[in-house]
Amino acid sequence: MAEVLITVRLPAPATLEAAMRRLDLSEDEVDTAYGLVPIDPDKNLYVLRVTEDAGRRVGGHDGGGADDGKAGGPYSDPPIEPYGPPR
Amino acid sequence: MRVLIQLRPSPDLVAAVADPSVSSTASDVADGLPGVVLDRSYAPVAVPRPMPASPGGDPLSLNQPLVFSMAPQDASVVVRGEIADDEVTSRVSLLPATRRDVVAVYADPAIETTLTCAGDPAVGDWRDVERLLRVADLSAEGLDGSGVPLAVIDTGVNAAYLKAARGHDVTIDHERSWSPKSVSGTPGDFPVDHGTMCAFDSLIAAPKASLLDVPVLLSRRQGGSTLDGLLSDAIAAYAHLRDVLDAQPAESRALVVTNSWGSFSPRWDFPAGHPGNYSDNPAHPFNLIVGSLAEAGADILFAAGNCGTQCRDGRCAYPDRPIVGANSHPRALSIGGIDTNGTRVGYSSQGPGRLTARKPDICAYTHFAGSGALGDGEPDSGTSAACPVAAGLVAAVRSRWPSTVLSPAQLRTLLRRTADDRSAVGYDHDYGYGVVDAAGVIAALRRRAAKAA
Repeated sequence: MAEVLITVRLPAPATLEAAMRRLDLSEDEVDTAYGLVPIDPDKNLYVLRVTEDAGRRVGGHDGGGADDGKAGGPYSDPPIEPYGPPR
Repeated sequence: MRVLIQLRPSPDLVAAVADPSVSSTASDVADGLPGVVLDRSYAPVAVPRPMPASPGGDPLSLNQPLVFSMAPQDASVVVRGEIADDEVTSRVSLLPATRRDVVAVYADPAIETTLTCAGDPAVGDWRDVERLLRVADLSAEGLDGSGVPLAVIDTGVNAAYLKAARGHDVTIDHERSWSPKSVSGTPGDFPVDHGTMCAFDSLIAAPKASLLDVPVLLSRRQGGSTLDGLLSDAIAAYAHLRDVLDAQPAESRALVVTNSWGSFSPRWDFPAGHPGNYSDNPAHPFNLIVGSLAEAGADILFAAGNCGTQCRDGRCAYPDRPIVGANSHPRALSIGGIDTNGTRVGYSSQGPGRLTARKPDICAYTHFAGSGALGDGEPDSGTSAACPVAAGLVAAVRSRWPSTVLSPAQLRTLLRRTADDRSAVGYDHDYGYGVVDAAGVIAALRRRAAKAA
């Protein structure tokens, strides 16, 4: 698993830079092209794509995302495929 | 689940069942079996008892010379019935304990050999699907998808092909379409493939819907094939769709999202039980965003998958319970496949689902001659086709019923409740609550409108 997903709670307006600062992540560890993606705006919950090592280091596995400076995760980012035609 | 129940009633009753001149019914033999819906059309059958041919033989062994006794004190009787799928284990173990005449309960598997499988020719065509979905009746009610955004999360849509195949214009909503950063191309102008098939099938019931082209499965990844993406791309797409939904005025808020894709293998996932797992974990970010978008007012449909036991897709790598992740999400509809004869296609995945046991929810039509997008003579197939067929029906409903008036949860319930049930006990893991029934949907909406007036 080359890259994994982590979640983070950030106050609005949230930016990728703010998330990286909060989690002490370097540019090499983050998929900056993917960016910071909102999962649930009502809960200020966002997701990032990071290297497996970074995910293990900053992830706290709290499920919905942490408020304590740790990230939620790491979560898998599996491939997805069309369900057809059946083979 | 269909079952055969073997009973040993009184010798008089066994003799009556065995006597062809006497008419016996299932109720005579097995009335009142708890949790069993008896098939009263199935006459009870007397079954002989195997006995050792030689004196002193083992009375329990079938691996010896045997004779078969139809004497009333030896023979038993078999009746047929159905037990709810989610009660099978407890009922099967409790029945012999609660009824002393019950000897055993056996599975009664379908022995039909005609289930539609991959490689089989089309069963009917898209005009048949149009008729089965009562598209003329839907249109007469003003339910044609007008103004409803319908997001096709797939391999991209080709509008020119759709126009030629359908014989009239289709609407691509360029402004609200979205692509992953690694995908170049114009909405509605992607190569003809799986996504174009899905778009075509969604337009059967909702010909005037506005298609949002979201080619997530064209995203490239290292080592991947040309037609796959990553779940993170789908998360980003859903974040965009949340913006689309939130930007709509409340009085017309609607967004239908059709997803004919999924994860075939646990290989790239954390194991089930691991907190970072996707397949079984409602806390995975994608499962969270699906729930969040549905709560905000979107109708989300997922294909159940092509891992049905009779002819599963060769890519299916989950050893059991193949409806995984968001395809089994409680706030999404999981769509199984039936052919235009109303029979489940053999590849349509069966429940229970991993996030929610009662998956699939309902079935819709597939394996018909439709778009031709998968090749000349190739049917629109897989639960990949069934999902957008159902999504089209949902989009048709949304033309007059925005999500602020009829919430996604209420519409899911309405579709389940009006579905044409294919079992005697309600929900089952082959057909779910049954087959989409547009006539039932129209009638239910009329009742709801009359009540509100």
